[in-house]
Amino acid sequence: MAKTVKFEIKRQAGPDSPAVWENFELEWRQGMNVISAMMEIAANPVTSDGKPTTPITYDSNCLEEICGSCAMRINGKARMACSALVDNLEQPIKVEPLSKFPLVRDLQVDRSVLFENLMRVKAWVPVDGTYDLGSGPRVFPQQQEANYPLSNCISCTCCMEVCPQFNEATGFVGAATIAQVKLFNNHPTGKVFKEERLRALAGDGGIQECGYAQNCVEACPKQIPLTNAISDVGRDVVVQKIKDFLRG
Amino acid sequence: MATAHSPATPKVHAGVQPIRAGKGTSFLWRKLHSLLGVIPIGAFFIEHLLSNFEALKGPSAYGAQVKFLNALPMVRVLEWTFIFLPIAYHALYGLYIWFRGKSNVVYYPWAGNWMYVAQRWTGLIATAYIIQHVLRQRFMGVSLPENPGAAFHKVQMELANPIMLAVYVIAMIAICWHFAYGIWLFAAKWGITPGDVARKRFGYICAAFGVVLLFVGLASIWAFIRPEAKNAPEIAPVAIVQVETGGSMGL
Repeated sequence: MAKTVKFEIKRQAGPDSPAVWENFELEWRQGMNVISAMMEIAANPVTSDGKPTTPITYDSNCLEEICGSCAMRINGKARMACSALVDNLEQPIKVEPLSKFPLVRDLQVDRSVLFENLMRVKAWVPVDGTYDLGSGPRVFPQQQEANYPLSNCISCTCCMEVCPQFNEATGFVGAATIAQVKLFNNHPTGKVFKEERLRALAGDGGIQECGYAQNCVEACPKQIPLTNAISDVGRDVVVQKIKDFLRG
Repeated sequence: MATAHSPATPKVHAGVQPIRAGKGTSFLWRKLHSLLGVIPIGAFFIEHLLSNFEALKGPSAYGAQVKFLNALPMVRVLEWTFIFLPIAYHALYGLYIWFRGKSNVVYYPWAGNWMYVAQRWTGLIATAYIIQHVLRQRFMGVSLPENPGAAFHKVQMELANPIMLAVYVIAMIAICWHFAYGIWLFAAKWGITPGDVARKRFGYICAAFGVVLLFVGLASIWAFIRPEAKNAPEIAPVAIVQVETGGSMGL
């Protein structure tokens, strides 16, 4: 028999269904990653003992670590399935859904809390209007260099999954949203909302809930300087609250 | 509206709720916890260690230090406002923080994650220690504010018990650790050290500071149990701050 790759996948038919583990064995191929294996298993859903099962469900899209869809727990750690090369993983490869988000089915979870958080802190540049506003203010190359890493966020939510403070008790906003606040506060047009973003981040579940365990920056597949962002934005929020207090 | 509830896009409302943007008071309470840890609690801790260090000069010098501190204006108000109440708040809110966090160091055994856990355990050790320490040394037995000369003997009796000695040493290590890393956390979270390199450098500084504090603390524990200090007088003669008179001051 040719070289094979063993997988153990946590299956769950729906949010309220019991979780079960199913084992799969695939033929090894050059350069295969976890997401390509998931596609293969979904296309041919037969367990390693030859029993047919339901096709597995998972999120994925770009397959090159740029869309943020395929985050899952692989051998216990949250990461992107597309950049998880099978040859670098211990077998059997255990694949589980992210644990901090409502489960939809199998490996698919509902990560809409991140998008809700991004909306609540106004993580955008407001340029909508009824007429052409012309070109925006010039952004110096030095500022571009500082902003670029922050703009790399793919909304995968790995930083939130690995955070000990991101849970239902704290309602912590998570590192990704804080980094986006820094990005848009740095933007010459986006900073029109700077004060509102900082005030938003001082709400319950805001930046103060960070325990600085620094897991976020370890887990981030895009190497976003998340702890630096939390530090910088943390200072800005404190300064904003003091200003508001003294001017109020 | 057949499309309103498409089974393909199930709407899930459970899980971690989004931020309550700009609402609530948790920011104030959490930042107060953080600030109190450095000032006044940290400042008091340094003062306490420095005062304890006087014990190396013997029972009379130690008693004089106790007398000096208790002679400060409004000392009971200072004691409650800058020591007892801040520590009580810091401890209670710290426990609240701990209960709401969900450690995952088993899955993600990274250095920062270990420190996150250590900060909680050292805080718990500190709290348990401080409760017994304040009760037994401040509010039970000989009252030191009235009898500063009895301070050395009182502490010596406590440390004569090997179990209590172990408690004091363990607590000293835990509190120095908690304070040193607490300063580092404070700088990181209040945006004083937003850069990776700055945080690394400041980490070395905090570690060195913690080691120095620990050395001072353990040296003063040694002051009470060393052989030369055996059989200290139950009440040592205490002369507070010697004021030099005469000589050139007469101008």
